[in-house]
Amino acid sequence: MEATEYGWLILAFPLAGSMLIALGWKLLPGRSAGWIGTLAIGLSFAASLGALFQLLDLPADERQLTHSLYDYASAGGLEIEMNILLDPLSVFMCLVVSGISTLIHLYSVSYMTSDVGFRRFFSYLNFFVFSMLLLVLAGNLVLLIVGWAFVGFASYALISYWYRRSTATEAGMKAFVINVVGDIGLVLAALFLFRELGTFDLLGIFEAAPEEFSTNEGVAVAIGLLLLVGAFAKSAQVPFHTWLPDAMEGPTPVSALIHAATMVTAGVYLIGRFYPVFEIALTAADVAAIIGLVTLLLAATIALVVTDLKRIIAYSTMSQIGYMIMGVGIGAYSAAFFHLMTHAFFKALLFMAAGSVIGAMANRQNIDLMGGFRAAMPFTCATLLIGAAALAAFPGTSGFFSKDEILAFAEHRGGFYWVFAIGGYIGALMTAFYAFRIGFRVAFGEPVPEARELEQGHIHHAEPKNPATGEKEDTDVGFPGSSHQIAEREWPMKIAMSVLAFGAIFAGLVQVPGLDAVVEHFLEGSFEDSALYGELPSDAAEWRGLGIGAIISLFGIGIAAQLYLRRPGTTARLQQQLAGLHSFLSHKWYFDELIDALIVRPALGFGRWANTTFERYVVQGLVVGAEGTAKGASALVRGAQSGYLRSYALLLLVGFAGLGLYFLVAGS
Amino acid sequence: MLQVMLWLPLAAGLLACLVARRLTGWVAAAGALGTLALAVGILIDFDSASAGVQHAVDEDWIPDLGVRYSLGVDGISIFLVLLTAVAWGAATFWSAIRMPERPKTYFLMMGIAETATLGAFLAQDLLLFVLFFDLMLIPFYFLFGSWGTEHPGRPGEGTIRPTSATIKMVIYTLVGSLLMLAGAIAAGVIAGEGTPVFSMEELRGGDALSESSQRWIFWFFAAAFLVKMPAFLVHGWMPDAYRVAPLAALAVFSAVLSKVGAYGFLRVVLPIFPDATLEFQEVLLVIALASILYGSVMAFTQTSARLVAGYSSVAQLGFITLGVFALRPDGADGAVLQMVNHGIVIVPLMLILVLLAERTGGDDITRMGGLAMRAPVLATLFLVVTMALLAMPGSANFIGEFYILNGVFQEKVVFALVASVAIAIAAYYALRLFQRAMHYRKRDDVESREIGWREGGIVGGLVACIVALAFYPGVVLERSDESVKEQLGAVSRSAPIAQSDDSHFRPQGNPE
Repeated sequence: MEATEYGWLILAFPLAGSMLIALGWKLLPGRSAGWIGTLAIGLSFAASLGALFQLLDLPADERQLTHSLYDYASAGGLEIEMNILLDPLSVFMCLVVSGISTLIHLYSVSYMTSDVGFRRFFSYLNFFVFSMLLLVLAGNLVLLIVGWAFVGFASYALISYWYRRSTATEAGMKAFVINVVGDIGLVLAALFLFRELGTFDLLGIFEAAPEEFSTNEGVAVAIGLLLLVGAFAKSAQVPFHTWLPDAMEGPTPVSALIHAATMVTAGVYLIGRFYPVFEIALTAADVAAIIGLVTLLLAATIALVVTDLKRIIAYSTMSQIGYMIMGVGIGAYSAAFFHLMTHAFFKALLFMAAGSVIGAMANRQNIDLMGGFRAAMPFTCATLLIGAAALAAFPGTSGFFSKDEILAFAEHRGGFYWVFAIGGYIGALMTAFYAFRIGFRVAFGEPVPEARELEQGHIHHAEPKNPATGEKEDTDVGFPGSSHQIAEREWPMKIAMSVLAFGAIFAGLVQVPGLDAVVEHFLEGSFEDSALYGELPSDAAEWRGLGIGAIISLFGIGIAAQLYLRRPGTTARLQQQLAGLHSFLSHKWYFDELIDALIVRPALGFGRWANTTFERYVVQGLVVGAEGTAKGASALVRGAQSGYLRSYALLLLVGFAGLGLYFLVAGS
Repeated sequence: MLQVMLWLPLAAGLLACLVARRLTGWVAAAGALGTLALAVGILIDFDSASAGVQHAVDEDWIPDLGVRYSLGVDGISIFLVLLTAVAWGAATFWSAIRMPERPKTYFLMMGIAETATLGAFLAQDLLLFVLFFDLMLIPFYFLFGSWGTEHPGRPGEGTIRPTSATIKMVIYTLVGSLLMLAGAIAAGVIAGEGTPVFSMEELRGGDALSESSQRWIFWFFAAAFLVKMPAFLVHGWMPDAYRVAPLAALAVFSAVLSKVGAYGFLRVVLPIFPDATLEFQEVLLVIALASILYGSVMAFTQTSARLVAGYSSVAQLGFITLGVFALRPDGADGAVLQMVNHGIVIVPLMLILVLLAERTGGDDITRMGGLAMRAPVLATLFLVVTMALLAMPGSANFIGEFYILNGVFQEKVVFALVASVAIAIAAYYALRLFQRAMHYRKRDDVESREIGWREGGIVGGLVACIVALAFYPGVVLERSDESVKEQLGAVSRSAPIAQSDDSHFRPQGNPE
């Protein structure tokens, strides 16, 4: 089979799975919908492998293949085909997306067992993966936007999956609308590109861009910035990040899917994919790097104080994506995509472990209530600590090799780019600290009642409440599901987490400075014309970067150990002493309030004014004149209604009917 | 075939008056279905390579006045004819299922309305067009006035009554219609020099009319079309009419009649008054933009589901007008596609509003909630409609908007940038409508009940059309392209400078 045929199969399986589950929702017994969903994504992963091997058979410089299925919407000078682009970058993304997603599906089969919406869940989940794969495989900008928006839709559907919770529906809405803002950025970028280059085709754009634009030309920078709006909205970068923590309203596997395999990495992919534009629009690339740095620091500071287990992990995602955006912004493409891959492993793992803990806590998510689970849940705690170690870039784990490679590149590029290296290391310190804040709080310390209960073989059960508001859930409808699942008792969860744990530890070994560079060599085919791709730091410089990273990571973990293991209670004192800072951080730097005051309120205010004043006095008044005339006129009309208007109507009607008859007769 | 299709709904309506009461609806529905079948037949026959009128019928009617009975379809009207047939098919079936009071008159009015609308799309003679255009109003006057229901109104507004709302609508549209009638006669007389000429084909190009006469006649026509759409500032009749109208009739009204205005701009105003079109291009673009923004913001703040739909239509028609007055093939292609899209979305939306009203007792979205739980099929259908309404990429609505924005963007960047803001607002109000109805906790006075299979069949069929178009929007674009270029040809001939300046427009992929 041709490589592109595999490409279509990669898309076909998840779409078919989603439709099969959706249409057959009444006929699928028990967990079968979950197994169908898992199988569909698994087959998609197999097809991705097939595409990979086909691609590897080709000479290195012929690995960009396109294939068009049919003419999607072409007219009036526009040409938009249903085509895919299969190259090392898209295949790499497909492997990560479908591979990690298969495991998340597997996990969900157990985790969502008791939920009434089980089939709906898997239908959405498959559609989510389909959307993401469409995004990465799209061969033209319009199709890319379609995948892009489908991802936004799927995230909406899954975030507000428990749609009876008002917090969930509102979080879904927020994610959707912010994502649409990002879509508009992409649409405008597409229109700009078409105006300048006359094509929507990705390869066409990449070919024409260096010829048509000069370095840092205004139009090119504008296009770059518009692309960034899309990338930032999808990847939750400042100031479009507020939806991501709220997205924790979705079930935990959804969080894993959004944060690890799909969605938030789309922005990284977009910037990497459009490197020919960004290497011309250098200012836009710098903006990307700066926003990445700001986001990684901002999210890390918030992660220090948030107490909701899933939200800490969510902010860590924001921060890690900040590293990747910074990476692609400064030109460290292979390092950024390498980090994307390792992050997918350990972030999915962290969420799965968190899900297991939350199961044991009967859906409560506040880490202040957790502690001492290591005896009750040895497997979960071990995987949680492995995930935390990889996130903290503990020497030897996957996160260690990938994150520090980005920072080493920044250092190597020198000049102004030093700032990114230094900022990145500061972020790394905070990351190491909060990663083990989770690990130590959950696994160690005095066992909480829930942990004790579990040690005696019984999962704690409590009246289900919305963790965000404390509102009682209406259990009559059966979601969230009535029973709780933990990894210790469910083999599918265990398998998924074991595979991920293995990856979180060892995935970094594919790219060790001086030894091998699998990702870098493979992706080379997609970055052939890049001026920066080959500009790699020497092995010695990389090892120096890794060394600094190792020290910082251990230092951060040390602080966490000091605060949470040796002297528990220090943090409470610190909180009181720095109450102002703590409240500023817990309010997430007041971004939600700012957006509300700047955008939402003015719009609502205008609407209210328009409704009550403008519509009544201007629009209505325009034709009829002043209020008094209006009354007079309507009185007049009321009088005329029975007479004039009706006879006019009737006359026309009769005349017309007669006419029609005449032609029916005359025509025959 | 064209003739039969045009008059069949009227004939079925008349026949429905004669048969037994319980058969009335089904006779009318059969007529609507037959019309649909004929429309599909004409589409299959359609030669997309030709720009001109096909299936032409041309007879003398009033020879002394130069009025001819001349009909035909081209790449623009064919899809609007099809849309009309689909919309009426759905609405008539729907009405047949839930038999209205005084069914005979009701179905007769529906039949007249369909024939009149089809006539407006098929007419190739200016006066015939005006005649059909005016005839459309009459059945809706009766449908809205006699079968309408009272509505509590917005805060401070008081109850809206069907009669007063209908009269307001008639006054608004009648003013426009009479102006257009005067304009049409004037155009024919001035162009004819002695014997009036009303054939659209002969008037095309604008050579027959001096620039100064084009200028005022343009506005006579524009008044009629803008009111019909309705556009910003002349939409005063819309909020009242939308709130009292019976929803099945409102579905076809909103889906098709508003399009006659946009169609009129593209098919009548552009080719016959090209100089005036160029002169007033920016004025119309500003009106369109104002409609888009105003309609979107208003839809965003309404609590009545009918008004959300109504104001969103104002915004959508603004987009369509924007596309037409971009005066580029891509913009106008997008406008044609968007006319079809909007119609095919608004019909199921209105029908779903019927179901919501039955389950919640009204159209106030703050008093709905939680319907999805026991009605997964209804929720799914509604979700697809919502996504198409907000022009989700992947739907044909997105392609329509994309084409329109592309057309405007290449000519007038600022307009496109401002218009794009409305896309985000649309996402909000459309989703809000869906969520308020289907999600959140169920209120005690709300009944969560699944859609019936007959209603489900109708709405499902329309949703299937939405999905099919989403997979292949090119089906419309490819057929309308030649005709659209033909309409725009007159305008670019009057502006040779504008055309040569248009260096970025590179025709591609058109083998013909």
